[in-house]
Amino acid sequence: MADDSDLCSDYYDDDEDDESDQLYQVDSGNDYLGEDTQPEASSSRKQEWTVIDQCTLAKLQNGALEAVSGIMGCSRSTARKLLVHFRWDKESLMCTVADKGQEVVYRAAGVTSAVELEDPSASMAEVDCGSCLCSVARNECTSMECGHIFCNSCWQQYFDVQISDGNSRRLRCMAFRCGAICDEGKVGELLPDSSPALKRYQQALLESYIEDNQNVRWCPSAPHCGRAIQVDGDHYCEPQCCCGLMFCFKCGDLPHSPATCEMFQIWKQKSQDDSETKNWLCAHTKPCPKCKNPVEKNGGCNLVVCRCGQAFCWLCGSATGTDHTWTRISGHECGRWKDDMDKKVDEASRNHKRYMHYFERWKGHMDSLAKEDELRADVLTSVENLENADNELNDYSWITFGLDQVLVARRILSSSYVFAFFMFGNDMFKSEISEERNLANKELFEDQQQMLEAELERLSHLLEDAQKPANKSMQLRMLVINSKDSIHRRIVNLYNTLENDILSQLTQSASSIAPYTGK
Amino acid sequence: MASKRIQKELQDLQKDPPTSCSAGPAGDDLFHWQATIMGPADSPYAGGVFFVNITFPPDYPFKPPKVTFQTKVYHPNVNGQGSICLDILKEQWSPALTISKVLLSVCSLLTDPNPDDPLVPEIAHIYKTDRQRYEDTAREWCRKFAMG
Repeated sequence: MADDSDLCSDYYDDDEDDESDQLYQVDSGNDYLGEDTQPEASSSRKQEWTVIDQCTLAKLQNGALEAVSGIMGCSRSTARKLLVHFRWDKESLMCTVADKGQEVVYRAAGVTSAVELEDPSASMAEVDCGSCLCSVARNECTSMECGHIFCNSCWQQYFDVQISDGNSRRLRCMAFRCGAICDEGKVGELLPDSSPALKRYQQALLESYIEDNQNVRWCPSAPHCGRAIQVDGDHYCEPQCCCGLMFCFKCGDLPHSPATCEMFQIWKQKSQDDSETKNWLCAHTKPCPKCKNPVEKNGGCNLVVCRCGQAFCWLCGSATGTDHTWTRISGHECGRWKDDMDKKVDEASRNHKRYMHYFERWKGHMDSLAKEDELRADVLTSVENLENADNELNDYSWITFGLDQVLVARRILSSSYVFAFFMFGNDMFKSEISEERNLANKELFEDQQQMLEAELERLSHLLEDAQKPANKSMQLRMLVINSKDSIHRRIVNLYNTLENDILSQLTQSASSIAPYTGK
Repeated sequence: MASKRIQKELQDLQKDPPTSCSAGPAGDDLFHWQATIMGPADSPYAGGVFFVNITFPPDYPFKPPKVTFQTKVYHPNVNGQGSICLDILKEQWSPALTISKVLLSVCSLLTDPNPDDPLVPEIAHIYKTDRQRYEDTAREWCRKFAMG
C-alpha cells in the first residue's frame, strides 16, 4: 500500500519564493472571484485544481487507463483493476510493481486469482453450477478469467445483488476465496442491455476515477452539481467549483481557513445541534482509516472490512492487516485505557463561557456573510443596469469587486474566531507551546484580527452607501477601492502571522491550513 | 432462486448427511432452519449438542446466511447473544459455499478458536494465558447448557 504522506512532499517548495505562480484551472472562468490581477501569495505552496465534469471525467480516466495499459502491456480492464486498487495513483502502482513484482501486485489488485484453475469443463456438454447446484448446458455458462465457471443466470443475479450493494468497482468472482475481479467486458455481456444494474455498473466504473482517487473529490454541493475537483498540488486548499461552491479539499467541508480541518470539525460538532442522521452515523458507523467513508458494522467480530478493501479494528478505528481470516490476523492491540477521558469532560464545562464568546462572533460573521451573499445577485443586476444607463462614469465593477472582497474577508474573519478558540487557551496545543509564548501570539493575532474586522465593517458600510442611487461619486469609488486593498493587505498580514509566527511553532501537530489566495 | 437452492441443499443434506451435524427447516418456513452440531471429540465441547439458528436472506446464496448459536457456548469467537465471528459468514462469503460447509467450519472453529480475532476479549485472554482454565470453563458450560 502506498504511503500517502510522501506523495504530497513534491508539491511543497518551502523556499523564499514568495511570489510563486498560482495557477487556477477553472474551466468556465473564475468570475466569482473577480479581477484578473496576479494573485499575491501569502504562502509559497503551489495550488492547482481542475474542475471535472462528465465529459472531462471520461477523458481524464481514459488518459490514465491508456498510460497504465501502455506501460504494463495489459488490457484496459486490467489497468482499471490496478488503478482502482492503487487509488488512481500511477506512481505508487509503478513503484509497488518494481518493488514487489508484478505477480504480487496482480494478485493483490484482484487481476489474478488466489485459487486459479484451468477451466476443466471446457469440453463438457454440461456444467455443475456451484451456485444454484444445478446442471446447466455449457453454452449457458460463463467462466471468468480466473477459470471459475458458473451459470449465466447465477452470475447475473450475483451481479445484481453486488451492484445494488454498491460493490460495482470490486465485483469479485463467485468462487470461494478467489478474489479475482470480474472482467468488465464479461459483466457487460452477462447483464441485460439497458438494465438498471448495467447502467449503474458502468457509471460506477466511470466514477471510480473520482471515488477511489485521493486527488479528486466530489463537489459537495447540495443538490449535487455533478462535478468534481482534481487537485494536482497541495491538498490544503479551498477550490471553487463551477457551480460557485467553495470548499475545503482536505475535509470536503465548507471553507474554514485559517481554522484547521480538525478545529473546524470539532467546532461544527459543538455548534450544530446534532441531526438524526448524524446521531445515527456517530452511533453506528466509523470512518474507514483508508478512504474515510463511514462504515457500518453489520454483525460479527470487531475486525471490520470496508468496501474499499481496508480492514480495521472496530474498537479503535485503526487499520489492521488485510489478510484477515479466522486463523490469522496481523498483530493488533488497542484495549489499553488512555487516561484523558475525564479531563475532556471538565474542560467542556470550563470552556463554555469562552466558547460562547467565540461562537457569537463566528455566528455573527457567518450571518452577515449569508446576507451579503444574497445581496450579491442584486448588486450584479444593479451594476449592470447602471453601466448601461450611465454614460459618464460607466465602470461600476468596483462595487462588485468590493463586495467580493467583503465576502472573502467575512469568511476568513469568521473562521479566525474558530482558530482563536482552539489555538489560544485551549488544550489542543498545550504540550507544544508554552503559555507565555501562546499569550504573546494571542495578542499579536488579535491585533491583526481587530484591524481586519474594523476595515471590513467600514467597507461593508461604504458598499451599503453605494447602493443608494445618488451616491456613485468618484470619491466613494476611491474609498471603496482603497478599503478593498487595505483589507487584502490585512488578510495577507494575518496569514503571515498565522503561518510564520504561530503555526510554525507547533512541532508535532499536522496543523496545515489552506493559504489565502485572494488578489 | 433462493428457495430452489435451499431445497436443493436440504436434499443433499438428507442424501449425504455430514457426520457431526444435522440441519433442516425449523418449521414451515424454508428460510429459517435449525441445526445441531456435535461438540468435536478433541475439544472441551466433546459430548455436547449445540443448537444453531440459521436464517437465509431472500437473495441467498448471493448474500450469506445468518448463523447464530442458540445454546450458550464459552468460546473466544462466540458472544453471549450467540453471534459467531467467522469470516466466511461476512466478507469471505461465496455463493459456492453451502450450509454444510458453514457448519463444518463452525465445528473446526470449536476445535481451534481464533483468539487473535476475538468477539469476547476476556475469553480470548484466558485462552491465551491459562489454557487449562479455559478448557475447564468451556467443559463446565458444555455440561450445563449442551448436555441432557
